[in-house]
Amino acid sequence: MSSSSSSSSSSTLRLYLTCIRNTLEAAMCLQNFPCQEVERHNKPEVELKTSPELLLNPVLICRNEAEKCLIETSINSLRISLKVKQTDELENILTKKFLRFLSMRAEAFQVLRRKPVQGYDISFLVTNYHCEQMQKQKLIDFIVQFMEDIDKEISELKMSVNTRGRLVATEFLKQFI
Amino acid sequence: MGVMSVHQFAQCITCHAWSPDHSMVALCPNNNEAHIYRLVEDKWEKVHVLQKHDQVISGIDWSTGSNRIVTASHDRNSYVWNLEGSEWVPTLVILRLNRAALCVQWSPKENKFAVGSGAKTVCICYYEQENNWWVSKLIRKRHDSSVTSVSWHPNNILLATTSTDGKCRVFSTFIKGVDAKDSKKGTSDSKFGDSKFGELIVQLDLSSSWTFGVKWSPSGNTLAYVGHNSMIYFVDDVGPSPLAQNVVFRDLPLRDVLFVSERMVIGVGYDCNPMVFAADERGIWSFVKYLGERKAVSFGSKYGTQFSEAFGKFYSQSKQGVSNDAVESSRTRGFVHENCINCIMPHMEHSTLITRFSTSGLDGRIVIWDLEYEQDLLEL
Repeated sequence: MSSSSSSSSSSTLRLYLTCIRNTLEAAMCLQNFPCQEVERHNKPEVELKTSPELLLNPVLICRNEAEKCLIETSINSLRISLKVKQTDELENILTKKFLRFLSMRAEAFQVLRRKPVQGYDISFLVTNYHCEQMQKQKLIDFIVQFMEDIDKEISELKMSVNTRGRLVATEFLKQFI
Repeated sequence: MGVMSVHQFAQCITCHAWSPDHSMVALCPNNNEAHIYRLVEDKWEKVHVLQKHDQVISGIDWSTGSNRIVTASHDRNSYVWNLEGSEWVPTLVILRLNRAALCVQWSPKENKFAVGSGAKTVCICYYEQENNWWVSKLIRKRHDSSVTSVSWHPNNILLATTSTDGKCRVFSTFIKGVDAKDSKKGTSDSKFGDSKFGELIVQLDLSSSWTFGVKWSPSGNTLAYVGHNSMIYFVDDVGPSPLAQNVVFRDLPLRDVLFVSERMVIGVGYDCNPMVFAADERGIWSFVKYLGERKAVSFGSKYGTQFSEAFGKFYSQSKQGVSNDAVESSRTRGFVHENCINCIMPHMEHSTLITRFSTSGLDGRIVIWDLEYEQDLLEL
């Protein structure tokens, strides 16, 4: 029973990731586009949202209520926001701490946004400059790989916290024997 | 395969243009300079660097008759470069723009050029002898968003534009004193003969998304442009009652098109592979094939980008098993171009048929394609 449910959940994860990958592939058609509103500026339109005609319809991909991915596209930039699964308080804290740790080092990741979009745990901002410097396929691979790994990472962290908790408790209670 | 030559000029090319004899190419390596390369004994040598702009150059055009280069840049300026001796000398163009210039093209007679801009206007520029500069007349208030491309009708009067507001428009650009009266009458388009400057001849509202890459067919009878919703539009009988055809394709959107003949169009874009569209005897346009073939790709290539290294660094701290090399490699596309193609230019023409054309893209390569190798297409 448990094995069948786990295999079905991993296959829905694969479907979810494939859907995101395909959406990203279609959405990541960016180009250099100078600002229409401010002289000599060139800013990600998806962040400014000053000209509504330069934005495309946002796409929301949900695996379930707790896990979703919002892809917002504009002519020169793309924003991907993720909500990571958090089933209990411990996972909540771990996700928050871990993603904060990553966000604080956003410049090392280039496409990571320093602050997540409201309602999401982590956001990526891809601009036309990233598409010029990096291969599109690898960028998409990175984001999908990131999503794949984040769940694993959180559950591993949770496991190690639990193990450590048990160990500490055992050591602590030993003195009363 | 129709590829004749491939050369990596820079990390990224925004636009390119050929000299009249096709021995030199002017390109912008995604910065504020334009570089001119000459082919010397099968090697490309950088012969000139045009430095005057201070932001990225978005458009270059090289006139065939007068051997002048015009550049347009995001810094709101445009320059006309004349070859004097061995130096390219810039002439100022009074564009009167307050936003970036996005695209530029010489008119067929080369006495005017058009600049599309982010200020939602089009500038039609002509030379003023007394002041030794190029002045512009603006077409205002017609576009609701940035003008992404411009294209001149062979009659030197009509100009087609595409814009990010999703429309394609055709304007009259008759300028008194620059265009002779008889030049209007001489053309077959007598119906546009009495149009004034800036008059909107037709507005095509076919696309639901941004439009790019407008071009006229060699005779000027057909107009083609692309939409960002993966559509290409062909318009016949441009005038009061135009005939339009929409062709949908299943792949990523196009950025630019080129008519190689009256009935064949090459489209380039985000799929990194030129697409051929052709019209049958009844004039119905359809997608024919991709021009590029997949090369044998080494699927074992490893992640090489900087951020994945950073990513790997984080992970190697917690997990020994996962290092960079263990990350699954991606599918490399294996086309001649590895990134979006955003510019296509004719390279060699035989009367009405363009047999060679060149494409450049964000991967910094210029690829020359020869249709002579594509016998099946020439028979169409």
